[in-house]
Formats: sequence, structure tokens, C-alpha cells
Amino acid sequence: MKTYAERNRALLHFIAVPTILLTAGLLGGLRIDAQTRQFIFIAPPLVTLVLAILLGSLFVRAGAIDLSRWVAIEQPTLNNLSHLLTLLSLFFATAQAFNSVLPESGLLHWMFSFFFLWTLWTNQFSNFDARRLLKSIMVLFGTAFVFKHLLVSALYAPDGGLLRTIASTLLKGISIDVPAFAPATGYVSFFALILYVSGLLLIAPNPSPPDESSVDKLAVREEMLSESSNQSSGVELNDTVPK
Amino acid sequence: MQRKFIQIIGVIWTLLYASVIIWIYATEPRSFKEVATNTQVAAGTYEINQEKFDNGLNLFRRDQFRAARDEWAGADPAQRDPRTQFYIAYACYREGWGRVYYDDALFREGLAAVDRAINLNPNGTLSVDDPNLQMHTAAELKAELEQGTETSWRDLNPMKLFRTRK
Repeated sequence: MKTYAERNRALLHFIAVPTILLTAGLLGGLRIDAQTRQFIFIAPPLVTLVLAILLGSLFVRAGAIDLSRWVAIEQPTLNNLSHLLTLLSLFFATAQAFNSVLPESGLLHWMFSFFFLWTLWTNQFSNFDARRLLKSIMVLFGTAFVFKHLLVSALYAPDGGLLRTIASTLLKGISIDVPAFAPATGYVSFFALILYVSGLLLIAPNPSPPDESSVDKLAVREEMLSESSNQSSGVELNDTVPK
Repeated sequence: MQRKFIQIIGVIWTLLYASVIIWIYATEPRSFKEVATNTQVAAGTYEINQEKFDNGLNLFRRDQFRAARDEWAGADPAQRDPRTQFYIAYACYREGWGRVYYDDALFREGLAAVDRAINLNPNGTLSVDDPNLQMHTAAELKAELEQGTETSWRDLNPMKLFRTRK
């Protein structure tokens, strides 16, 4: 049982998590051209790398990643190497997740970038725990996804309807350059974000497996606790018995 | 021991997968077909579609240059065959050639194709033995295309009306 758990944990940490993150990175820059239905691969712009660094520092500050446990001089080289690769995959996936929800060019690109930068910068000075940070990230990416792939793409779709008419009236004279992509781009982006969040959920703050001694200690402690609870319940029962 | 083995597999797999992703972003394939073609190029097993190439050659000999270029583009989708690129450049030259003026856009397209042909040739000199052509080397063709795109006083020479297409 213990061997299975160890093996599964190793498979998860060393193979599944990097694969999920790298796949999120691969899909994050993929767009489908509206007319030709051809692939367009967009490498992460510089601003997404800055955003990824800011989010990375939030992970460390919130304790979602205990950097001293991930890469340490006391650890074997192989451990450090595999952990470093996972962290690099996380960085790449984060940059591509931002790339996926940022408009590609024009005024909206800079507006979205500014809002992301503002949010992440102000969060640097807030108190976060890992769980709250994860929820906050999910909301951040979810909102950006809805704005880009539902609202903005609907506004600038060839058959945009009422929404498009309103937008073109409101923004008359302001040039907002939004490239047209096929609806499949939204699906690709959605899966990229799902994979990214799944990867984040699977990443452990401390990648080192619990050593045998601590496992044994935990088992003994649990046994003692269960024994004591049994005794106390027995006492209670005895107390309730009428004399 | 098992954990270490999985760790090694994980490191190799991650490096391999990351390299594939970088390669995809570097080559920017536009379809799954192009991914397959690029893979063949990377593996060194890429070959042109000979049937399409021959069709293109027949069209070229009948002066149907645009159709010939389309066939050759299909025959060499990765633009990795120097001979095909030479013929594409030649088709651009012949279609763009005019007694009074040259078609600049076609000559530039031809120049790009002949440059690809020269760069793809490992020896640097590409020679095509085709009796129907009057220029047999990529260098000759490139010089002709370059002259066509340049503007000079010679353009005003009325004698150019008597020049012949190569």
C-alpha cells in the first residue's frame, strides 16, 4: 500500500505535473485563424514574463511554494534538477496563461496588461495564504477569460449584433485593433487555463516525500489519539450508566 | 530506487517535451500536416512529392507559370528542396519578365525563392541540367532577378525592347 502511494506520488510530481504545466504552456499561445483555420503560435510577450515573475513571487510569499525545500544545496543533484524543471515549467505555463487571456495587440492589450500588473503589484503587499491565493488566481484568470473570449470576441465578431453596434457607437473614433480568431481559440484557451489551474492544485508546497520516521511517528500518534478517544468515550458511557 | 527511476524518466521526459514545444513555437506550423512535414525535415526523412513536381514541370513548359508554382509549392511544402525552389524562382522570372517593364512583386518573390535554393545547397553552387532553360545556375538566375528589381538609367534605353527572355 505504502509502495503504491510512494510510486503514485513520484509519478505525479515528476511526470504528471510538468506534463500538465507544459501542455498548458503549449496551448496558451495557440490561436486559430478565423478565415483559414490555420494554427497561429504566439510566443509569450515580454509583459507576460514580468507578470509571471510577479505571480511567482506571490506563490513564494503565500507559501504555495516553499522555495527552500524545492531547491536546496543539501538535496541530491537529481532532486534539484527535477524540481528546477518543474518550477521552470510553472513559470512558462504562468506566462502562457497570461498570454492566453491577454488581447494580442492594440489598446486592449495594454489595458489588460496594466490591470494585471496593478492587481499583482498591489497583491504583493497583502496577506495571503496558499488557498486564498489560488482562489484569487482562479478569479483573476476567469474574469480575464470572460472579458477576452466572450465579451471582446463577441464585440468584434463579424456578426456581432447589438453588442457590436453599442461598442462601435461608444468607441467611435478610438481604434481598438483586435485580431479575429476562430471560436475554437476560446476552447483552446479554456483548456489551457483548466490545465494550468490543475497544475497549480497538484503542486505541493514541499516536494520532498515524508520520511519514514515521520510517517511512523504520525502512525503512533494517530493510534494513541484513537485509543485515548476510545477510553474517553468509554468513561462517558460508564458515567451515564445509572448506579 | 523506484522513485529515483521515475525521477530520471521525469527529467528526460520534461526536457524532451519542452524541446518539442520550443521547436513548435520556432517553426510555427500552421496545421497538423505541417507539423508532420516539419517532423520529417527534422528527422532527415523529408522528400518532395515527385508526381507534383513533374506536373509542375509540364505546366512550366507550357508557360503556365502560376499553376506550375502552385504544383511545386505542394510538392515541396517545407521549402527544403533546392531544385524545386530554383524552378519556382525561374517561373517567377518568366512570368514577371516583360519587354517594357518587369513585374517587381514577382521578381522579389523569385529572388526569395532563389535565395532559399542557394542557402539549401550544401556546396553553395546549384546547377540544374535542363535543356529548356537558358540559365542553369542559381547564381545566374539570382543576378538576372536582382537586375530586374534595380532601377537604373538603363531602364530608359529604348533598345531594351529588343531583349529576349531567358
